[in-house]
Amino acid sequence: MSVLSFAQWVQSTAFFTALRGSAYVYPIVLSTHMIAIALFGGMILLLDVRLLGWTMRSYTLSEMVNQLRPLKRIGFLLLITCGLLMAGCKAEEYYYNAFFRTKMTLLALVGVHALIFRRGVYRNTAALDGAPRIPAQAKLAASLSLILWTSLVIAGRGIGYIEPPLDKIHARLFAVPGAAAPAIASKAVPPDRRF
Amino acid sequence: MLLQAPNPLNASPLIFPALECIHIIGFTLSVGTIALLDFRLLGLGLTRHPAAELAQDLAPWTLVGLAIMLLSGPAMFSSDPDMYYLNGAFQIKMVALLIAIVFNYTIHRKVAAQDASTGGAKVVACISLTLWTSIILCGIFIGFVGDAIPR
Repeated sequence: MSVLSFAQWVQSTAFFTALRGSAYVYPIVLSTHMIAIALFGGMILLLDVRLLGWTMRSYTLSEMVNQLRPLKRIGFLLLITCGLLMAGCKAEEYYYNAFFRTKMTLLALVGVHALIFRRGVYRNTAALDGAPRIPAQAKLAASLSLILWTSLVIAGRGIGYIEPPLDKIHARLFAVPGAAAPAIASKAVPPDRRF
Repeated sequence: MLLQAPNPLNASPLIFPALECIHIIGFTLSVGTIALLDFRLLGLGLTRHPAAELAQDLAPWTLVGLAIMLLSGPAMFSSDPDMYYLNGAFQIKMVALLIAIVFNYTIHRKVAAQDASTGGAKVVACISLTLWTSIILCGIFIGFVGDAIPR
């Protein structure tokens, strides 16, 4: 099963069809996604500026990282759950959406970031607390994290602004070789423009 | 439709989404830091230092976030004032925002400064969290109610 046919199948399930059509549930899922960004993203931002040494110097890095970890996990879980619910609604469209692809790539990079800096920074805070200055590696981790998460927000917002021409794609996919592409009335659905 | 108004912010279709991103980053900073203080008041995180200390450390970040929010928000409003003005979700959002800001700089600040982990402080934290999350909720619903999006 290709990624595309999987996306088409996900989108066509009864659950996601209902979610896509619901007047209230879909915006509530989107709102919860945004709320998770504010709560969870706020913690990431603060942790990054602490790693850079710009704030909360009286709090040790161990304290910041360890005490925020459970809250961050809950936030991340909420974020991912809502994200998956929304992605499932328009899976085929998003398959072609350049911003969605960018966002997924950035998300993978967040994972790579965590793997790279886990040993030296995030699981090594006791040593960092003892260091006379915040090591360059920790500052690098924080700077990259800030860049990654900001880019994720931008890519996420961009998703709603482009609409792949699904009609034309379908016409091409299902066209009989040699025959003229069937004329499909284009229905313009405006993207989620405002909030 | 965006291009008809003589607002310079509507000159490019990229300006509105850019403002949205700035707005998101702004409220992440402000609501995120306010929520951290609320979690502290609820005893859920950063509990080794007094709440008063956390409040003091977070205050400038909250203020910067609020400033970013309150600059990008009205700019977005100006792109289509009639739509926003008549939008029910927007109206509720503005009322909630006003209450939340006043609450944040009066009761919320006072409770955090007193540093009492009493039941009252927890109620205040819950009210604060409810207010700010409802503002985000209403913000999203602006795009889903009325004639914001002809569906």
